[in-house]
Amino acid sequence: MSTPVTEPFERLQCQWCQSLNEKSALACRTCGAPLDIRNLVSESGWREAPRIRDMTEIHFSNSTCQVEGEIVPVAEINLSPGDAIFFEHHVMLWKDESVPLTLMALSGGFKRAFAGMPFLISVATGPGRIAFSRDATGELVVLPLHPGMEVDVREHAFLLSSHQIQYSFVRIKGLANILFGGQGMYMDRFVTAGSPGLLILHGYGNVFERVLKPGESIMLEPGAFLYKDSSVTMDVEFQKLGAGFFGGATMSLARMTGPGRVGIQSMYVHHKTE
Amino acid sequence: MFCAQCGSKSIDGARFCGVCGAMVASPAPPPAAAALPAPAPAPPAATHHAARCSWCGTPLDPAAASCPGCGATMSEMGVSTRSGWLQLPGRKDMAKLQFGQSACQIEGIYVPVADFKLAPGDSVYFAHHVLLWKDSDLAIATMPLAGAWKRLFAGMPLIMTQAAGPGHIAFSRDAPGELIAVPIHPGQSVDVREHLFLVATGNVVYDWFQTGVWFSTKNGDETETHYPVGAFMDRFSGTQQPGLLLLHAAGNVFVRTLAPGETMLVKPTALIFKDPPVQMHLHFEHPQTGFTSWGSWSNRYLWLRVVGPGRVAVQSSFEHLHGEASYMQGHSYATEVRW
Repeated sequence: MSTPVTEPFERLQCQWCQSLNEKSALACRTCGAPLDIRNLVSESGWREAPRIRDMTEIHFSNSTCQVEGEIVPVAEINLSPGDAIFFEHHVMLWKDESVPLTLMALSGGFKRAFAGMPFLISVATGPGRIAFSRDATGELVVLPLHPGMEVDVREHAFLLSSHQIQYSFVRIKGLANILFGGQGMYMDRFVTAGSPGLLILHGYGNVFERVLKPGESIMLEPGAFLYKDSSVTMDVEFQKLGAGFFGGATMSLARMTGPGRVGIQSMYVHHKTE
Repeated sequence: MFCAQCGSKSIDGARFCGVCGAMVASPAPPPAAAALPAPAPAPPAATHHAARCSWCGTPLDPAAASCPGCGATMSEMGVSTRSGWLQLPGRKDMAKLQFGQSACQIEGIYVPVADFKLAPGDSVYFAHHVLLWKDSDLAIATMPLAGAWKRLFAGMPLIMTQAAGPGHIAFSRDAPGELIAVPIHPGQSVDVREHLFLVATGNVVYDWFQTGVWFSTKNGDETETHYPVGAFMDRFSGTQQPGLLLLHAAGNVFVRTLAPGETMLVKPTALIFKDPPVQMHLHFEHPQTGFTSWGSWSNRYLWLRVVGPGRVAVQSSFEHLHGEASYMQGHSYATEVRW
């Protein structure tokens, strides 16, 4: 009768991804967040994404991921036989020769291009090692994805995802004109089905997250948006800034409305307002 | 026991933090902190009031871990190079700066965010592209600027935007670097190189002036004028109440105070700010070579010569200076050395 009471005290819950760890663990086994550092939460309610210590190892399925470096961190994956990950090809840093690469079949036949090249999702299958990084100072964000969760991510911000996670993308209509001159902006959508998976994003600069209550909203620089739960809505609002003599400038802000998580990056992608 | 710098848990009794290497507060500080509440208004406190922040000059409370004016961590203050450059003191993540009834929290380390909590009646102004997020009901409006046509011509931000409390609003730049807090004391002014301004409190007066530092290059029939420190410089001045100015610099930041008449040569694009009494002009150096009869204009180093008295701040990462190696046709006042 008394055993269930002592059980929780033997485990340490990660405050970023909620998974349980051994009491002596210094970093979360599932997301790499340091377990011996207090959460950094600003007075305005933004929580800083955990700063993963150099060389921390993360476990998913039967494979591991080691996070190396701090200014432009590398995610080095050691894939077990039968495990696979998918990613956009421009984030690959190096790989073992023997790791096979294939292309993911994307449904819907959307026409989507990245910098003039066709948009392709590549798949690497184990066993073997493959490593990823992105082209700027920033942080790796290991997102807690539990079964049934749906997360929308800014396009090209996802570094890699394990094969248990289902991938699709959605076009954001409102942002089209201001962000990409009418070509449309897409968001990547990740859905966890039966088993939990690993999703790693790269945010430019520092990454912060807050949880919006139902109906609560906050205004974001559109370039700062990094990820959100699919329950959070995003609407672009324009604000006319005076200076009538010159016709003024229009400022666009994204209104994010809860319920759910919103993640932002402090080094936003700058977009011209013209 | 937690490290004062990075917040990680350290082994009790350890002298240094195992994560960031900072010296862990040894037995000394806890008694001091514990003793603080009782004798706060007592005479000993008065003697400590002489202590000022090495970066911004704000008087320090000896019991505080950081400067309330610029957020600098007490233990990192006063770090100077052997040549006399004072390094911008480190700041603990989530450091808080106080101004009037409002506060600003600095969050993040690679691209720090300045997160303002504005009290009713307090305001800040900013170049509109640095806004990161805001409360949905916080109003923003443009600030009328006199002589705006000059700014348009120079390609500088034409519109300053103002936000008034109460509410939260946060700013950041789209590049890695340091966020520099420059408290502006009453009667004080600071000259800032263009495009480094992030945000200032409403009680800081904003103005600009022509730098008068330029050179022109000729390539075939094309003549081009270059402004090594910009055609215009921003000037921020204090009023009756102290104000806060936040700048964004690339890389690391160093400052030094020049004595009257003391000079220093700096890379023009590395200049961040200077005190108004500091004069600046171009300076050319010509290394000794066998070919002095030709190419003497392209075989040179181009410097900005700053003359005291006053402070000069530089950043360790800087942009390429356009036209530096081209044939020079004319230039503003310059000193010259031929080796």
